Amino acid sequence: MKAEAVRVFHLAYLIALGAGLGLTSAHFAVAGRPLLGMAQIGAWKTWPRSGGRDIDPYMRAYLARGVHLPLGVGEGLELIAEQDDQGRTLDGRCRYALTGSTPTTRGWTLSVTDADGRPFRLPLDRSGFTDSEVVRGENAALNIAAASWPQAGNWLPLPASGRFQFRLRLYDTPISTQAGETRAESLPRIERTDCP
Amino acid sequence: MSTAGHDASRDASAAARYGSPRLPRGARLTAAVRRLLLATVAGLVLAAIVHIVTILLIPVLSASDAITAYRALGTGGRAELISASGDRGLPLPREADPATVTAVCSYDLAAGPMRVVARAGTLPLGLTLHRRGGGVIYAITDRAAIRGVVEFLVMTEEQRDERIARDEEGEAARELRVVSETDQGLIVARVLVRQPSDRADAEALASGVACGLAD
Repeated sequence: MKAEAVRVFHLAYLIALGAGLGLTSAHFAVAGRPLLGMAQIGAWKTWPRSGGRDIDPYMRAYLARGVHLPLGVGEGLELIAEQDDQGRTLDGRCRYALTGSTPTTRGWTLSVTDADGRPFRLPLDRSGFTDSEVVRGENAALNIAAASWPQAGNWLPLPASGRFQFRLRLYDTPISTQAGETRAESLPRIERTDCP
Repeated sequence: MSTAGHDASRDASAAARYGSPRLPRGARLTAAVRRLLLATVAGLVLAAIVHIVTILLIPVLSASDAITAYRALGTGGRAELISASGDRGLPLPREADPATVTAVCSYDLAAGPMRVVARAGTLPLGLTLHRRGGGVIYAITDRAAIRGVVEFLVMTEEQRDERIARDEEGEAARELRVVSETDQGLIVARVLVRQPSDRADAEALASGVACGLAD
């Protein structure tokens, strides 16, 4: 009788552990963008296989949990930055300078979003720049100032405080098929200018 | 004789009182811990199986993915805009670029192959095929346009075999054929809005994508 009870307890423990741990780990594995299949280029992160036939199961599950229409390989590439070039988390209280170049592309957009990829609701109606909107210097280099207070030149407004992301989307770019081999120098640098 | 019988009966009663007669207390504890460890290992193996099965089942069972949300769009033969106004109560795509205009055409290949025709304009246009269960199975941009038109057919494996059999001997097929493993999916037309003033043009370009049944 006692041995029977012990066996039932072990079975219940086994099932509870298996189901609980299995479901919880699956939930957390696809709650955000999975680490699997991620390519890091400087401060930018990208998931080059998310827009192809050979998408991995974690990315597929992550995308299926919401209304996602990822960019296709060959259509474009999305790069996300949550940190600056020194590895510090992006903070709305600071001022950032985005400089450098963009890869060969037919068009690109750079926007500021929250952690879920939504634009912030700011008083000024600008959440990003496209390559046609941005004003370039004499050497055709990119120079965008991102801060929560007005800046001269290409000003990208930030939320007054808290974390945010930069999202760079390259449309019709040849690097979308070999994003993993792209060098950091070909993407814009993110430098923290100052932090009051 | 009688004393020996008496001892045996006393042993039996002692055994009944203290559980397993032969094992000392430490050994019993070790056996219990070992059984618990075994159950933990089995539980972890089960957790791994549950984890994998859940990850694989989410795309199949999900009712909140884009294909389910937009399945009513574009059934009239034209791609329909997912507008910000949301007059039909449709959800906006997550993580979408605010500087693009998106039109969607849902397809069901059970009735036959679909023909997608898009005009190329001055703004960059991308066409992608999203299958049910996740994965972009095809992507093309308006750079591939021939005489200003991007045209392709979406079909299942069997429908393609049928068309190949109907093709005339020795003549290469003139149409671009894309095979979809699933019957249902979405054709997504995305146009980049370079300047805010281009939005109307971009909307016209995206919603101008035709997606009807192929002959």
